[in-house]
Amino acid sequence: MEPVITSPDIETRRMELRGVVKLAGEIIAQYWPMRTFVHHNPLHSLEYLPFEETVRRGKQFMGGNGYLSGHLYRDYLKSGRIQSRHLDDALKPLIHDKHVVIGSRKATHGEVLRACLTDGLCAPVVEPLDDQLPDPSNELIDRIAARLESVLCFPDLHERIRSIAEGDQASLGQWLTLSHWCDDTLGTQIVRQINDQLIKWCEAFLDEGHAAWAMPEREKGLYGAWKTLAAQEWSLFGIEDSRRKISQLPEYPEDALLESLDALGIPSHLRQDYLSLQLTALPGWAGFIKWRGEERDYPWQQAYPAGLVKFLAIRLWYARELVQKACRDELGIEGRYDAVTAYMRAHSGEYYLRRQRVAGRLPALYAEEVDRLSHQKGNGWGMVLDRYRTEVVPRQEAAARRGAVRKLLALARSLDIDTAQLAECSPANLKQLVDWMEAFPESDHGPVWLKAFEAGYRERLLGQLRERASETNQTAPTRPYSQSIYCIDVRSEPFRRHLESVGLHETYGFAGFFAAFIRYRAWGKDHDTEQFPVIMRAKNEVREIPRSYLDHKVSKHEARAKWVHAGHTLLHDLKENVVTPYVMVESLGWFYGLPIFGKTLLPSLYQRWTSWLRHLFVPSLATTLTVDKLAPAETAEMLDAEQQAIVREALHERVGLRGSRITPALVEGLRQRSLTGQGDPEPPLIEEAARAGLSLEIVNALVETLRRQYDLNARAASRHKERITRTGFTLDEQTLTVDTALRMMGLTKNFARLVLFCAHGSTSDNNPYESALDCGACGGNEGKPNARVLAMMANNQKVRERLTKTGIKIPSDTHFLAGQMDTTTDEVQLVDLEDVPPTHRADLARLQEDLKEAAELTSQERCGRFPEVRQSLEGKKAEAYVRRRSVDWSQVRPEWGLSSNASFLIGRRELTKGLDLGGRVFLHSYDYREDPSNRLLEVLLTAPQVVAQWINMEHYFSAVDNEVYGSGSKIYHNVVGRVGIMSGPWSDLRLGLARQTVMNGDVPYHEPMRLLTVVEAPRMRIEKLIARHEVLQHLYHNEWVHLVALDPEDRVWYRYRSNGEWSPVSDPPQEEHIHI
Amino acid sequence: MRDGALIPWLLAGVPLLGALASLAVWSNPDRLKLSSIIWSVITLGVIVGFSSRLETPAESLLPLYLLPLAAAVSVLGQPVHEDHRLSWVMTLVCLGLGVGTLTGRDVSGQLFLMALFVSIVVLLYHHHTVLWPISWWGIGLFGLGVVCVGISIAAGPSLSSVATLLTCAILLPLVPFHDGYLTALTRLPGSLPSFIVLLLPVVGLHGLSTVMPTVPDVVSWTVSLFALMGALYGAVKAMAQSRVRLMLAYGSLSFFSMLWWFAAAMRTATPRAALLVGAIGLATSGLLIAWQVIRTRYGDDVDPQAISGLASGMPQYAVLLSLLALAAMGLPPFGVFAGFMGLLLTSPFPSSAGLVINLIAWLAASWYIMQMVQRLLFGARRLELRYTDLLRTELASLLIIVLVLLTLGLAPATLFAPDQTASATHSVTGSFVWNR
Repeated sequence: MEPVITSPDIETRRMELRGVVKLAGEIIAQYWPMRTFVHHNPLHSLEYLPFEETVRRGKQFMGGNGYLSGHLYRDYLKSGRIQSRHLDDALKPLIHDKHVVIGSRKATHGEVLRACLTDGLCAPVVEPLDDQLPDPSNELIDRIAARLESVLCFPDLHERIRSIAEGDQASLGQWLTLSHWCDDTLGTQIVRQINDQLIKWCEAFLDEGHAAWAMPEREKGLYGAWKTLAAQEWSLFGIEDSRRKISQLPEYPEDALLESLDALGIPSHLRQDYLSLQLTALPGWAGFIKWRGEERDYPWQQAYPAGLVKFLAIRLWYARELVQKACRDELGIEGRYDAVTAYMRAHSGEYYLRRQRVAGRLPALYAEEVDRLSHQKGNGWGMVLDRYRTEVVPRQEAAARRGAVRKLLALARSLDIDTAQLAECSPANLKQLVDWMEAFPESDHGPVWLKAFEAGYRERLLGQLRERASETNQTAPTRPYSQSIYCIDVRSEPFRRHLESVGLHETYGFAGFFAAFIRYRAWGKDHDTEQFPVIMRAKNEVREIPRSYLDHKVSKHEARAKWVHAGHTLLHDLKENVVTPYVMVESLGWFYGLPIFGKTLLPSLYQRWTSWLRHLFVPSLATTLTVDKLAPAETAEMLDAEQQAIVREALHERVGLRGSRITPALVEGLRQRSLTGQGDPEPPLIEEAARAGLSLEIVNALVETLRRQYDLNARAASRHKERITRTGFTLDEQTLTVDTALRMMGLTKNFARLVLFCAHGSTSDNNPYESALDCGACGGNEGKPNARVLAMMANNQKVRERLTKTGIKIPSDTHFLAGQMDTTTDEVQLVDLEDVPPTHRADLARLQEDLKEAAELTSQERCGRFPEVRQSLEGKKAEAYVRRRSVDWSQVRPEWGLSSNASFLIGRRELTKGLDLGGRVFLHSYDYREDPSNRLLEVLLTAPQVVAQWINMEHYFSAVDNEVYGSGSKIYHNVVGRVGIMSGPWSDLRLGLARQTVMNGDVPYHEPMRLLTVVEAPRMRIEKLIARHEVLQHLYHNEWVHLVALDPEDRVWYRYRSNGEWSPVSDPPQEEHIHI
Repeated sequence: MRDGALIPWLLAGVPLLGALASLAVWSNPDRLKLSSIIWSVITLGVIVGFSSRLETPAESLLPLYLLPLAAAVSVLGQPVHEDHRLSWVMTLVCLGLGVGTLTGRDVSGQLFLMALFVSIVVLLYHHHTVLWPISWWGIGLFGLGVVCVGISIAAGPSLSSVATLLTCAILLPLVPFHDGYLTALTRLPGSLPSFIVLLLPVVGLHGLSTVMPTVPDVVSWTVSLFALMGALYGAVKAMAQSRVRLMLAYGSLSFFSMLWWFAAAMRTATPRAALLVGAIGLATSGLLIAWQVIRTRYGDDVDPQAISGLASGMPQYAVLLSLLALAAMGLPPFGVFAGFMGLLLTSPFPSSAGLVINLIAWLAASWYIMQMVQRLLFGARRLELRYTDLLRTELASLLIIVLVLLTLGLAPATLFAPDQTASATHSVTGSFVWNR
């Protein structure tokens, strides 16, 4: 082991290591806390690679499948969802112009590959050595196997062992950690042991207020806290002298990590991959730590810093100790990279037998012998291997031949060839068939199936769009009853369709944050929410405040809210305390019976009752938002008032002054003194203090306290002032925001009397994934604040005047409304109705009525998609049903959310109006004629499309491998640390979506396909944007997203290929009926 | 009287005759299997027919009924394959020798037992492999069994008593004489292990019923100690096994050791003891047949680690295996529970510590048996495995065992030994006072 580095280049080595860790972390995705669930591609960091290559990497590093299993695709083929011609098209590039003659029949290479796909002939079946199941084909199998004996040769055992050992040597460090190697070779459980430890420490350290007893020493950071506490633990897993070893670890995690890497002997060129492998062992916790490490302003991160270097320093320490122990105890070698590779080289036979034993591939007697030799550290490996070669290998070869014959028989049946003819076929031809099948294993089928799967959907969607496009005729615009703008979210599509069907309403699609990048603080809340896509940043803050005419009710409301809060806190503390639960169960336990029975038996009634009770005790107050920027004088006044309140509080708390003894002059004097902070107090302050009975020493001490503990000093004041100035928007900013939003959605003329910005949120109970159902464009929050902000801006007369100058003339009788759709109940709630002019009452009533009707229709449509609903429900019943789901605390699927999303359409509503797109399409309104500079399309492709692609990929990977990329069944979920969920009491932080979100039983509800982006814009413009933006090149050229354009110049649909070329989309054959 | 003396020979002769007759269809495995099953059933019929003329031993006639049944289901659970022909014929041979031992009087029973030992020794020797050197221990112990039987025939009462006790310890496994039993269960081919697992213990119990009342206190105390050690040792070893047959062998050793403890305390073998031995043997036999189902599909040498997800791929198998596991770990309403509780409630306890050890060993069974079942039935469904649910014969075989175990658990104790139940019940009421 190299000594710990003390040379002057230590800082360089640390920096280098931090860089390596950063690169190593690319393989894992960031994990956002659950309360602001952000849909993202779990392999996002690898989007610079082609999709198929990334899927392969995902398999190698994380063990996740990138495609559905073959039998699911075959079921789709049987049901007609995948069509034969699409499968043939997808298969075409793999087919060689070759054939084999069997009897009188020619079997082409293409037919064989197709049979492999459609009949699952290439599934990896292990042929047992002594299969004794009765099978009428056994005789035929034996005959054909005998013919194959001469041509189907297997490498000699020594050759096989050599190649395995060499392959594993090459993999070690790159695809295989030493811990994994020990587990696979020696049957140890090192990876699980390390994971258990890391889960324990991460769960405690990263807790954000969930734990009743917080972990001590967290302020030292993840590594420091672990080092302090683990050094007091009992020795774990037999690591000798672990306390001393941990306490003697270096102070810096970088040094500890370097020391561990050196101890394990990992060569420099392998370190990045090695660390990647370590991170992928727990991608959830590592992903969350990665996110925390990059969010330096996150309060929990500031208080208790965590980072991947710290995480790895801990992980690698356990790894080095356990590997060392296992290698020394079992093999008598050092637990180092070089020693292990040398062992594989020098004892390849023993290594082979050990690996086969651990993998369960040795016959029982040999397994016992290997166990005995391992236990007794005997020298009989050679003898066992020789015996194995003479006794087992021939049986294995015979079994392999039988397996090949079974495949041939299945192939013959699939191709309608008499199986008996195979026995007459030449061995060379049989071998050829076997080779073709072996060269196309089931693991290679995924890309072919996926292409065929996507082609079916693409053809259907484009067929619908083409049909609609041909019907579109230019008619003189009439003024609609209303215009409403919805989030691009796929759940808006059915609602928009139904609203348009019930009256003369126009709808538009726009990213649900409505171009208002705001940090928002709801009234009565202590924390801000970030109301914008996570890939953006905000500079404006908006607060919700009670309307001015309700000032007299505010204090009463606040007092009641405080009581409610205090009650909640008390109840929580009583539940979580060490002693009180024993008493509480006896005294108050019965009280919980009411909610249990209410929520279980009568959820809707119970919810209405509790809601009524809440409003009775703390009635809601009408509020408004601080959209306008404060003037400098107002800012100063506000700052002064807040600082004076602090001084009053300090005088009360620290000195015990009350009421009239706290004079304004004293408060002001102390405030000024705290801000300046130098020299002796001014005489007026001394006089005021004396009147209040405060000595000079007390004044000085109080000033010091104000400066240090109450943060009342010049620096903090400056910070605070800057923050206040961030509140609201200037007139220019407001104009720009409204202008951008209206232009991007193509709403620049023919304004209706009412224009509704309709955000969306959701309602569910007992659902950790609640925020996943909210608006992704609003950072996993409800979008109502953004809608209110934009409506208030658009109603501002000054803004309208400025907009007129930019070419958008909003009629004076147009009023902008804000509202929010509940995607679980389909109900639309309109807000700030007191701002609606009396002249618009009738319009408002009509809009509300139509919104209600549209909601009913939408609920009815959505009910048909729930597996529990066997027959279609009428409007009212459907409405009641979805409402009940939203308050049912046992419901694992309050709504399907964004599942089934498949496409992103950027274009005018005329293209899709009246089409039933099944709630699968993100619809973004865009009129290329309003965007001569291409600026708006650039934004749409680089922002909303990226968000849609993340959503799509999150769903894709959660559906194809829910255990690895998703979070498994909700039944086993437990909330941990208020940041995420674990499966059961002890697991990695689960990534992705729950099984119930994407699967309907064993069949995917979400059809996993890559996003299909359809853009109505000239191809030349799109090409320019692709050339300008690397992110677009990655998405299209690496086939993460399929792009189709409707070129308005020739009205032809084109598909953008991964090689950067456009090809016209051909018409589908008319005779085939497509089931999607 | 003369007729009575011939009955054992007649009963033993039926399966032996069946074995001879089966040789006639040796070349046709299908018919050979059928013949073996039929002869086993005939044996059962003959035993039932002559039961009223047989002298009822202390442990009741239950073992005698169970033996042909176990032989039939063991053969029934095997796949039709030429490799199993010897095991089917030898099952009939062993059945004949076992029935002869149980029913034979004086020397004839001993001779049958000696022949049984010799047959097993020959079979083990035939199937010996250098990769399993410890099977010499097993062969050696069965050899010792032959010697002990010889001594018990030839020597005086005291030496004979010790020799018989040793023979019993080899048959009804007691640490440290358990290697023969382990070897027989793990090394014998085809249907033999699932039959032997019942045959050897019931024959051992038969001997025990005659020898236990005669042994001195110190021997009884020593047996008690070995029994407790065996119960714990068997449970611990079973937990450490990765191979199913070894795990089942050690698990049943643990249970049989419990029986030894009770027997040492009672100084006899009661019908309840026979119920427990029969149920343990039958449940283990069922699990061995269930394991054979796996071996039929995935090869004789398959490692259980390589198998998982059978619950969804083989649902019938999963249900029956789960029921057998419940029975084997001693849960109601199956025979093992009934037997164990019967002994628990009717035996005087020499020590509370012994009882606690036995209960721990009993509880441990829930761990290792369930672990095996969980490993096989649940976990990921493996794409590389072909899942074929039970064939009709396998289904029948496992179903019969489950039903018999259920019957043993639910049937009244008087069914097996009407005249002895009353006194046992009396002892229960005398030992326990129900306090409210």
